[in-house]
Amino acid sequence: MSVKDIVGRHFSARQQTDVLSGRVRVGLFVAGVVAVLFAPFAQAVHPFWMDLATHMFIFALFALSLDFVFGYAGLLSFGHAAMFGAGGYATALLIQNATTSALVVLPMAVLVGAAVAALIGWLSVSARGIYFAMLTLAFAQLFYTVVFNDIPAMLLGLEAVTNGDNGLVGITALTLFGVDTGSLMAYYYLSLAMLGGMLALVTRLANSPFGRVMQAIRENEDRVAFIGYDVDRYKIVAFTISGGMAGLAGGLWVPFNSTATTAMLHWTTSGELIVMTLLGGMGTLWGPIAGAFLVVFLEDSLSAIGNWEIYLGIVYIVIVIFAPRGLAGIFRTVRSNPDPRVLLSKARSALATYREKVFS
Amino acid sequence: MAIEGIAKTALLGVEMGMTLVLVTVGLTLIFGMMDVINFAHGSLYMLGAYFGLTVVTVTGNWWAALLVAPLLVGLLGGLIEYLSIRPLYGRNPLYHILLTFGFAIMLHGLVTEIWGGQVQNIATPSLLEGSVDLVLFSYPLFRLFLLGVSIAVTAALWVAMRRSDFGIVMRASAHDSEMVDALGTDVKRVFTAVFVLGSILAGLAGVLLGTSRAVDPGMAASIIIQAFAIVVIGGLGSYRGAVVGAFVVGMLNAFGPTFAPQFTDALLYLLMAAVLLVKPAGLFGTPEGA
Repeated sequence: MSVKDIVGRHFSARQQTDVLSGRVRVGLFVAGVVAVLFAPFAQAVHPFWMDLATHMFIFALFALSLDFVFGYAGLLSFGHAAMFGAGGYATALLIQNATTSALVVLPMAVLVGAAVAALIGWLSVSARGIYFAMLTLAFAQLFYTVVFNDIPAMLLGLEAVTNGDNGLVGITALTLFGVDTGSLMAYYYLSLAMLGGMLALVTRLANSPFGRVMQAIRENEDRVAFIGYDVDRYKIVAFTISGGMAGLAGGLWVPFNSTATTAMLHWTTSGELIVMTLLGGMGTLWGPIAGAFLVVFLEDSLSAIGNWEIYLGIVYIVIVIFAPRGLAGIFRTVRSNPDPRVLLSKARSALATYREKVFS
Repeated sequence: MAIEGIAKTALLGVEMGMTLVLVTVGLTLIFGMMDVINFAHGSLYMLGAYFGLTVVTVTGNWWAALLVAPLLVGLLGGLIEYLSIRPLYGRNPLYHILLTFGFAIMLHGLVTEIWGGQVQNIATPSLLEGSVDLVLFSYPLFRLFLLGVSIAVTAALWVAMRRSDFGIVMRASAHDSEMVDALGTDVKRVFTAVFVLGSILAGLAGVLLGTSRAVDPGMAASIIIQAFAIVVIGGLGSYRGAVVGAFVVGMLNAFGPTFAPQFTDALLYLLMAAVLLVKPAGLFGTPEGA
């Protein structure tokens, strides 16, 4: 079965135009300007908002990495936690043992994430659909147990490398051009810059011939193979790029929290990432970013009124059933139908379809 | 390791394996028939344990819990299938992974909210307290009961799948649901029934393991990932595969901590990955589409 329907019909229905159309770009630019101006405002009013926003930026970057393979190449990875954790642990070990320079540490986090992804991708891409998902899950869990049991230390004969269940704690801040990024505002801008830079890079990639081939693979990989493209190679490259981004997100996450923990590598992290991506709307780039923002926001704000997972779960389930294209899809529908009566009838027909499928 | 130790560990392995069967059978049957990977299956198992806990606390009767909790879980599983999975049939099977993961998140939150995050225990019924002397070693009576129930359920299900009319319809639907539908059987109803059956078994396992081990909100995440590994190793959709896979993993779990504590879990996932790479259909599965 093709992955087409999971990604949403809007891609095949509309003309193949550039990823991130003009209007969305304007919207993102405005959002970026707001984000830049937000920090001094938050500093004055409520500095915790910067903490929350930085958390959002890092997970948005992580979600962007998944959207690149899932939304564009149709590869449902259930193992992105492995690359996130690999980048994070690489960062922690470098800061502890070598240098705090962001110019060294972050590129290394990217490289380590990409290397892990290349290996997992190389082994997994020939499997399709749920089998690919299961394989990436298996490899990520394998990686998790290796870190959890500190097998590297055992193999190298050292006392501790990953430090097992306790994780690596007391990780100091990164420095950039000799400036300490330990302050909330500095880290806010660093994370924002990384997110913006990666979004620009991914947009370029998605609009490049390489990105077109990826989308073609998502739509019908057999046909792409018949034309003469080496489908597996494209998938591995896409997965590796995505892994590099996930590694970068992990590399930003660890100094932010001052710790590298095994929870970063656990399969539930991969699952949460999928929730963010799908909630926002896969294959749209900006959707998963919005999805990550929403999930982080819900986690923070709903904690006060009870267990936030209940509400997140319900919202997510409703989205999967009724709006598989996520928030981005809803936004698009609302934008293209300014008449509320049309929207109402659309919602009604969606409900009618649901009723028919359930009760027939 | 002395012979007593080996024998006792082997029995532990059999016990672990057979109880895992209760969880994995539902998972594999559901996949075999509907191509649904049910991430919420571990959560249904967890709910069985919590329902059991509440029934025991309220009535003080463990046997009532053994009866009521699985039925409640079955009902809930049926509702989940009816209201949320049913509308997705015909969409890409990846959607079911995505949907049921949502239930796993929601139920984790719900359970933590209602019962709290602490580790709890279902009290062992007085009838099954104590140990039995098995010549070489003594073994808790409850765990032997657990083993007996698991074997009985597995065997009964096996016979039912082979002999009963419903079992035949089930196997036929797994093979070619469209044809079964065309021949006049309401396949959707069969799907719901299988989902309920799988949920009941998961709930039963929840009560049993909640009594012999512990009840906590993390139990869903830890069992589901093991169950996935087992189902993949045995072959997605294969009943025999689920039983053999569970047996292998049970043994691994029993002997692993003694011989290679650091590598036990790694071996499980290595095995899972190896099977997927070499024989994606699993040891007992049929290739996709066949």
